[in-house]
Amino acid sequence: MQQAPSPLVLRTDQLTKSYAGGPPALAGLSLAVPAGSVGLVGANGAGKTTLFRLMLGLMQPTSGRIEVAGRDVATDPVGIRGRLGYMPEHDCLPLDQTASDIVATFGELAGLPVRAARQRASDVLDLVGLDEARFRPVGGFSTGMRQRTKLAQALVADPHLVLLDEPTAGLDPLGREEMLDLVARLAGFGISVILATHLLDDVQRVCEHVVMIDRGHLVLAGPIDQLMQTTGQLRVEVGGRPDAVAVLADALAGRGLSARPLDDHSLDVDTRDQGDAAADTVRDAVADLGLRLYALSTRHRSLDDVFLQQASR
Amino acid sequence: MSAPPLSGAVYDRGYRPYTGPRGGRREATWALWRLSVRRALGLRRSWRQKVFPWTLLAITTVPAVVNVGIGYAIRNDPLEIPDFAFITYREYVGVSTALLLFVALTAPDVVCPDRQQRVLPLLFSRPLTGSDYVTAKVGAIAAIVFGFGFLPQVVLFVGQMLVSDGALEYFTDNAEVLWQVPISVALLAVYYGAVGVALASLTDRRIVGGVAILGVALVTSVVAAIIIESAGDGGTPFAVLNVLALPLEVRDLVFLGHLSTDSDLSGVSGGGVLAVLAYLLVLTSSIAVLQHRYREVAL
Repeated sequence: MQQAPSPLVLRTDQLTKSYAGGPPALAGLSLAVPAGSVGLVGANGAGKTTLFRLMLGLMQPTSGRIEVAGRDVATDPVGIRGRLGYMPEHDCLPLDQTASDIVATFGELAGLPVRAARQRASDVLDLVGLDEARFRPVGGFSTGMRQRTKLAQALVADPHLVLLDEPTAGLDPLGREEMLDLVARLAGFGISVILATHLLDDVQRVCEHVVMIDRGHLVLAGPIDQLMQTTGQLRVEVGGRPDAVAVLADALAGRGLSARPLDDHSLDVDTRDQGDAAADTVRDAVADLGLRLYALSTRHRSLDDVFLQQASR
Repeated sequence: MSAPPLSGAVYDRGYRPYTGPRGGRREATWALWRLSVRRALGLRRSWRQKVFPWTLLAITTVPAVVNVGIGYAIRNDPLEIPDFAFITYREYVGVSTALLLFVALTAPDVVCPDRQQRVLPLLFSRPLTGSDYVTAKVGAIAAIVFGFGFLPQVVLFVGQMLVSDGALEYFTDNAEVLWQVPISVALLAVYYGAVGVALASLTDRRIVGGVAILGVALVTSVVAAIIIESAGDGGTPFAVLNVLALPLEVRDLVFLGHLSTDSDLSGVSGGGVLAVLAYLLVLTSSIAVLQHRYREVAL
């Protein structure tokens, strides 16, 4: 049975936004972003924040069309905001209020009744690990706790979609891991995520899809699994003699495989001519030369590879 | 053997979707109004934030309590304090500078931190528009000023009714103030709220906002006083430059149907109309400033 395609959380058609006296922040951007966890990747000035503002209906596009969760932003910008959660990158919390009051207030501002907002605030603060600190003013919170409070306010009204702008910014390694764990769990709750960041590792870790933009133009978009497909190379690490890499490369050339030495112990072997049989050829060549085989693995591309490849075009 | 019961275990209660009712712009505006009222009155804040607003409420009520108290003390012998002039309901509308001080303190407190602490982007990511924000903020200050202006009048009315010779007779004799007081206090409250919040919205620093409100009140009244002084006894239309006095001119129109004889506009032809137009001009200008300030918010 054919699986139904997942609904789109964002669709743009020739979306352009220009500011006076400058190049367009978005230039004819056409996207179809499915539900789930999506990484929106781009350097500073790529157009990520402009795209968020257009999604939230806080400004009008110069031309083109944008739909969020199947609804045209131009016709119902305020209604759309009722089902979106937004976590800004910068500090944005009233410092003299408690986490509980802040999150409950933003629940009410999203249209929840007072009692429901209080209950939801308690639940989501529990979820983000702030259950014991929720009655303290956020002015005394660490950066990690403030980030969690920001995430909690984005989740309090049970949105269809949350827009997270650099959620790991300023966090120490442990705080970053915990934040990414939380973000990774959201898809399991039925909440789609668009994670804007310039940290490719974060996207690779928690997202299923990625959208890369650069200076308002779409660089690439697609499932991360497909983008990180195998490179057609084997990474081989050998030892046993000082010139092990060189003699192995010569031996492989004689067996129809080209190899590229990386350092004194490792080399990449191009497998595209032989496919899966290349691994057997490498193994046999190592055995015949009496070398020690430390590692033999298929090399996958990372998002960094993909980004650098696209950027170099 | 069964395992001993765990103590201090962490339970992951997971995530529960929300399936209850959801409101839209109206509910969001109402929520922001409640939040702003709470903030202005110091509710859910430390005791220090509560002292000032509630002290001001007490101060605005003092004239009513004094009047009722004296009325009670001399109820059997009205000639006992022959020089004491009971305050009238008309005079009691906006007579206290405590209301102006309240606006100067609280109007910046409900809008400046939103901009200074960059809360605005978060607020506008909810189903709120700039107009809703302005409505909620001006509405909050206006509602409290109305309360602080109206409650002492209620104390005065009820107190004087109770200490009078005949409560029912007092009530019927003064029935017209039952609509004159709330209308004139409301006009004053909306005016103070709009002007105060508009001036406060021009800065993200509370102290600057407060000084701006008091400064505008002081400077315009001094400038108007100088012009009035130089104009002589006939009055001058430039008296409308005293923006703080405009709602009091409108109050006189509500209570008397014409300007008071001691008004600086009373000698001016069409002075009443001029006062109303100036009142509306200041009010709409304040709203226009606010709409402009909150028409678009950067994330």
